[in-house]
Amino acid sequence: MNLFLCIDDTDDLDSIGTGELLENMRDAAAARGLGQGGFIVRYQLLIDETIPYTSHNSSMCCTFETHDRDALTAFCQSYLEANCAEGSDPGLCILTNNSGLDYTVLTAFGKRAQTEVVSKRDAYAAAAAFGSDVSLSEHGGTGIGVIGALAGAGLRAGRQEGRIKGKLHPLPGRPTMTAGEFAALYALSQLVDTNGQPVDPQRVLTFTEPTKAVFRDGMVTGVVCCENGVWKPLPKRKKEKQ
Amino acid sequence: MWDTVDGMPVWQGGKTDWAAAAQAAENCGAFRADCEEECVADDDVSCYNCRFRRWTRDSFVCMKERCL
Repeated sequence: MNLFLCIDDTDDLDSIGTGELLENMRDAAAARGLGQGGFIVRYQLLIDETIPYTSHNSSMCCTFETHDRDALTAFCQSYLEANCAEGSDPGLCILTNNSGLDYTVLTAFGKRAQTEVVSKRDAYAAAAAFGSDVSLSEHGGTGIGVIGALAGAGLRAGRQEGRIKGKLHPLPGRPTMTAGEFAALYALSQLVDTNGQPVDPQRVLTFTEPTKAVFRDGMVTGVVCCENGVWKPLPKRKKEKQ
Repeated sequence: MWDTVDGMPVWQGGKTDWAAAAQAAENCGAFRADCEEECVADDDVSCYNCRFRRWTRDSFVCMKERCL
């Protein structure tokens, strides 16, 4: 079966970030023979001074194909308890990834968490209708990370846009390539311009600075822009912040 | 470059004053890069990429005095 794994509030200013922790947990679970994980999507949640986030209030979500949900859940829970930063408030959400499920309620909860302050009670209420298809667990501190964990899983299940962890680096000695080659080389499912329009696969791109892919329309997506007549993958600063 | 709100330094440049944020970080002895997924500026050394910035709705607060 395929699952969404999402975590939040695992770090402090001296620890590794939540994205790296999820990456490590995903890879450790795979090394245990529990299955295979996918890429990680970052979801920005509400920036509000009353929310006790460390510095940015984002949650991280990946998919995971497993044959043993119970063993994977137990592994993730113990991994978080052993590896989250002391004093953090970690939360874990494991949600069934099945096209037969209607995620409307959870996606709506995720969108709420991006625009207003929500509570743990709100999170458990939103999760209640999903029965055994969702598990929410707290792993230290106030456990308030369950809010972001459920929100991230709901946003991912609803195919909402987020940034994909990791950078796409230019190839040494190859500053130009066609858009089609760029998409194939970096396993992008679609390539669009800053207006969201598809890019001609024959268009020549200049690729000399690292860029990032985004999760859009449920696909790994590259975004390109035109500056002074030169087409290139979007630099980070051109991407919308928060 | 900075306002003081409730005793904390708040960046005046909002979220897109890229050049000034890079300059400020270059001149700061406390800069520490945040993890890759939280870095937003192309300049590696930038207050926008620093672990000690805490985003607010319109800008960020520098937390270095509280954390170091």
